[in-house]
Amino acid sequence: MSNVCEEQIFSSVFKANSKTVFNYIYYKFGNEEKANDAVQEAFVKLWENCAKVSPEKAKAYIYTVANNLYLNVIKAEKVRLKYADIHSKSTSNESPEFILEEKEFKDKLDNALNDLPDNQRTTFLLNRIDGKKYAEIAKMEGVSVKAIEKRMHLALKSLREKIDGI
Amino acid sequence: MQENYLAKWLNDELTEEELLEFKKSDEYASYNKIKEATKHLKAPKFDVEKAYEDFKNASLTKETKVIALNPFKGFIRVAAAIAILLTGSYFFINSLDQSYTTQNAEITEVVLPDNSEIILNADSKITFNEKKWNEKRNVTLDGEAFFKVAKGEKFTVATDAGTIAVLGTQFNVENRDGFFEVTCYEGLVSVSYKNTERKLPAGTSFIVINGEIMDDTVLKNGQPSWVNNESSFKSIPLKYVFAELERQFNVKVKTENVDIEQLFTGTFSNTAIKIALESISTPSKISYTLEGDNVLFYVKNTP
Repeated sequence: MSNVCEEQIFSSVFKANSKTVFNYIYYKFGNEEKANDAVQEAFVKLWENCAKVSPEKAKAYIYTVANNLYLNVIKAEKVRLKYADIHSKSTSNESPEFILEEKEFKDKLDNALNDLPDNQRTTFLLNRIDGKKYAEIAKMEGVSVKAIEKRMHLALKSLREKIDGI
Repeated sequence: MQENYLAKWLNDELTEEELLEFKKSDEYASYNKIKEATKHLKAPKFDVEKAYEDFKNASLTKETKVIALNPFKGFIRVAAAIAILLTGSYFFINSLDQSYTTQNAEITEVVLPDNSEIILNADSKITFNEKKWNEKRNVTLDGEAFFKVAKGEKFTVATDAGTIAVLGTQFNVENRDGFFEVTCYEGLVSVSYKNTERKLPAGTSFIVINGEIMDDTVLKNGQPSWVNNESSFKSIPLKYVFAELERQFNVKVKTENVDIEQLFTGTFSNTAIKIALESISTPSKISYTLEGDNVLFYVKNTP
């Protein structure tokens, strides 16, 4: 039986999940340092308990550890996200008004995202940025798929309301 | 529109009709803009390879650290256990009662935390709780003792025969087999014996011999004679006199044809056994022999 204690397996679990753990904690608290620490901490715990955690459970295990790490300990800071520079090539085609409007929209979106409850923001961004399926996020968070759908729905709804100024 | 339709829409799970309906709505444009914009959002940079290197370095150094710290950790564990045991036993021992015991031919003086004094006669034992003394002045006595109680809260002497309660005074308590005597030399002493309670003013004694209550008087502001190395008796059966003799000189008393219920009034020295034996035998008209630690009292057959 394969074991997380084998370095190869451990390394693959690390490489497949560390970024998501990082993002997960970052979306939640908006703190890069804490997110990096959470990655290290979660995998140290997994390594220490590698004999007890099967490879199938490893993923859920690290999210649980990472999540519990800062439970009630830190307050969410502003989550800062960048935009992929998709417009760079076509800059010349855009009017200054359009650029200004875009910038305004991005600021509004940014603020609206930060105003979301932690769990809605985390779920929403894991789906939008990391492309995680609802079922996957449900497993990470230890809730039902339906609960994740609810969070997505509510998140999108409040984002729209905030941005449209309702 | 189904439940959580926005989530379904993001996931392309809406039916065609639903999608059409949604597209017609006023909010659709905004939702679509959010959908498109969030597609291009990026989280802060995270270098998986570097994180893994960090992890390997950290867990490696952690491992060496663990090895280095292990004996120390063990030591701390043992030290902690010992500390807990020590503090635990310290409090346990502290909560235990303090006791003083005298052997035969021994008198000891105990000063209590409030400067009350107890002089303990031979073969006696007192017990009290030093830690709780300020809350409760309570002494348990087995044997005989003279108390000089400092003024203060109620001071209680518990014996298996009765309880003596005072406020501040000088009194003597003797509690031996079948013999219970409380003598008050100063102040007022309250004695509970079985169901009776008796107030003893200075200069009075309360004596119970074999369940029979007697009263007696002594000198006010005096002290029991044994404090001055003498044992005094006033109409006390000989057997108690002999018992006291045994205690004071650590000897064994035997009798032959002696009526041990015969009453004795007198005093014997607690320091010189020959004089003491004379003091007892002469008034009682009995004889004695002394061999080592054995005393024999007998009645000469006078034809």
